[in-house]
Amino acid sequence: MVQVRMMEGNEAAAYGAMLSRAQVVPAYPITPQTELISFIAQFIAEGRMKAEYIKVEGEHTAMAAAIGASAAGARVFTASSSQGIVFMEEPLWMPPGMRLPINMCIVNRSIAPTGGLRPDHNDSLLQRDTGWIQLYCENSQEVMDTIIMGYKIAENKNIYLPVATCYDGYFVSATASKVEVPEQKDVDAFLPPYKHDWYSLIPGESKERPSRGGSARNRYEVQQANERAKKIIEEVDKEYAKTFGRTYDGMIEEYNCDSSDVVLMTMGSMTGTARDVVDDLKKNGKSVGLLKLRCFRPFPTEEFQQLAHKYHVIGVVDRNTSTGSAGGGIVSMELARALYHLDDKPLIANFHVGLGGTDVTPRQIEYMADKTLEIMKLGRVSEPVDWVELKDLGPVM
Amino acid sequence: MSELDRRFDDYYAKRKFYGGNSCCPGCGGPLFWRMAMEAFGPRTIVYGIGPCAGCTMRSIKLPSFNIHFSFVADGASGILAAFRAQGINDITVISSAGDGGTADIGLGKISAAAERNENMIQVCIDNEAYMNTGIQKSGLTPYGSWTTTTPLGKEAPKKDIPLILAAHHIPYVATVSVAYPQDLKKKFEVAKEIKGFRYIHVVIPCPTGWRFDPAKSIEVTKLGVDTWLWPLYEIKDSVLHLNMKKEAKPVKEYLETQQRFRVMKPDQIEWLQKETDRRREELLTLDGKKLFY
Repeated sequence: MVQVRMMEGNEAAAYGAMLSRAQVVPAYPITPQTELISFIAQFIAEGRMKAEYIKVEGEHTAMAAAIGASAAGARVFTASSSQGIVFMEEPLWMPPGMRLPINMCIVNRSIAPTGGLRPDHNDSLLQRDTGWIQLYCENSQEVMDTIIMGYKIAENKNIYLPVATCYDGYFVSATASKVEVPEQKDVDAFLPPYKHDWYSLIPGESKERPSRGGSARNRYEVQQANERAKKIIEEVDKEYAKTFGRTYDGMIEEYNCDSSDVVLMTMGSMTGTARDVVDDLKKNGKSVGLLKLRCFRPFPTEEFQQLAHKYHVIGVVDRNTSTGSAGGGIVSMELARALYHLDDKPLIANFHVGLGGTDVTPRQIEYMADKTLEIMKLGRVSEPVDWVELKDLGPVM
Repeated sequence: MSELDRRFDDYYAKRKFYGGNSCCPGCGGPLFWRMAMEAFGPRTIVYGIGPCAGCTMRSIKLPSFNIHFSFVADGASGILAAFRAQGINDITVISSAGDGGTADIGLGKISAAAERNENMIQVCIDNEAYMNTGIQKSGLTPYGSWTTTTPLGKEAPKKDIPLILAAHHIPYVATVSVAYPQDLKKKFEVAKEIKGFRYIHVVIPCPTGWRFDPAKSIEVTKLGVDTWLWPLYEIKDSVLHLNMKKEAKPVKEYLETQQRFRVMKPDQIEWLQKETDRRREELLTLDGKKLFY
């Protein structure tokens, strides 16, 4: 029977790993990921989850053990945050090139020295060039569902790429929201046991991925797999909807966008707040909608190109910084590149909010919507990025 | 094909190790792996990288898997967990690292794998410096040795990694040398029958980095043991057993065989002799005794 209850993001992630029948979990604790791995340890101790938990001494080893286990035929799950992801950087580059379908939760947290324990997206976005698929979740339900879907995408033999399931620390990781826990037999039917066609480490039948030589060749193949993943992500989302009755609209969700002149674009937990604000603004006659970017890697370039003509301005809300960049945050730069060659393209407004995990308030979202509408009227963007947090916007609501 | 070629091919056809490789002349690596593979048998896989990266590892005929030099014991832990998850329990997992991987960048990883008592044989293939990158000092470079980063000789002695590992209360620790092949093979056979984390540390000669005539590889390595600079022992369930002659040759005899020690001053050699004597006496006292409780 489908179980319905309130669940924090970290518990939902642990359920996602358990329902996916992850077999090996090498992990090292870091706030705000800790509850997730504690839940998994507890599940294993209670005999509810059959998995080998390797209590490693650091994130470098966590990912290295994940690589070994994945190549040796096990479905692998791990998780980290912030400094842990940065410490893991060396092995983190390996699974895409080795084509190992590891699933890792990145429980987003800002990075030292300026960050605290609360989230922004620099820890995961730093990994954008590695080849990992990156999916961003808004609430506990989406975390659980995305982990299960993630394995289905990663283990597709035309893909064989690792997947990062990203969700904001605290706002998702430690905030309870309603979750429907699917039945194990339905998940088993959706997600067959893991078998990597390219690897075996058993003496006598061992095989390793045939090397076709050269870094360029390898990176090209990872790029091609990323391109193919776009279609697979959409297909898996549809199949998931059919089986479990929930869809996330694949890579980009258009929310309340009908007859909108402009849209804001968000990632992660702030999307929930933005939904409410956009609904209110619409009621008050403001022509603003919302795009939720769910899949940052592969970047859904073609889908953006198809929907771009509908809006005069896209206001990109970047919960990250790329200091010294060509202009603004990481997501806005990606979007600009994706749309550059279109004749009929929207203006791109860009905002920095929620850095270091400060609250992204309804007032800020309203401000960004107003600014985006203003830019539409002006017909031009006056500053590359608006550091919203540094402005006094009055009361938060 | 000459008779010698034929015998060479016949010999290696029966081994789990290819004849011919890209190692420097006189390198102890291929010698070590050939003997090790004979002792381990066919249900074995090797994880990790020994000194000079793939030179020797590429010659192993059994499945081998490596990531990068800084990955020590970690991937092997993952492989073991994956095997357990799949109910595979008859495969010996060897995890290999060089002296830099073991004593420097991967020491924490080895310590953690030892604490978890991972069911693997961790070998340290110690050529006493970062040789692959062109002879830089590691934590296992001996006292007084020239390297490109210690042009005046290394200031500190070699880290005592076997005893550090033994202090983790693991079931088996052994030091071996390619100059004593019977002892080496016997210890591998012992290790193979034990469950849990086993640590075997081999010093292998590197004519390129140690600066000596490759033809004298075994001679030089043997002197390392005979002078007690590299004593051979095993520690089984924390009990130490020496596996060598009690008598010691003067360290000077060993130092003089290699140009890397030419930077040492007489007082340094004297200190090293005293230190080696002191250690020898300590080890002789400990022979047959339990080191850790």
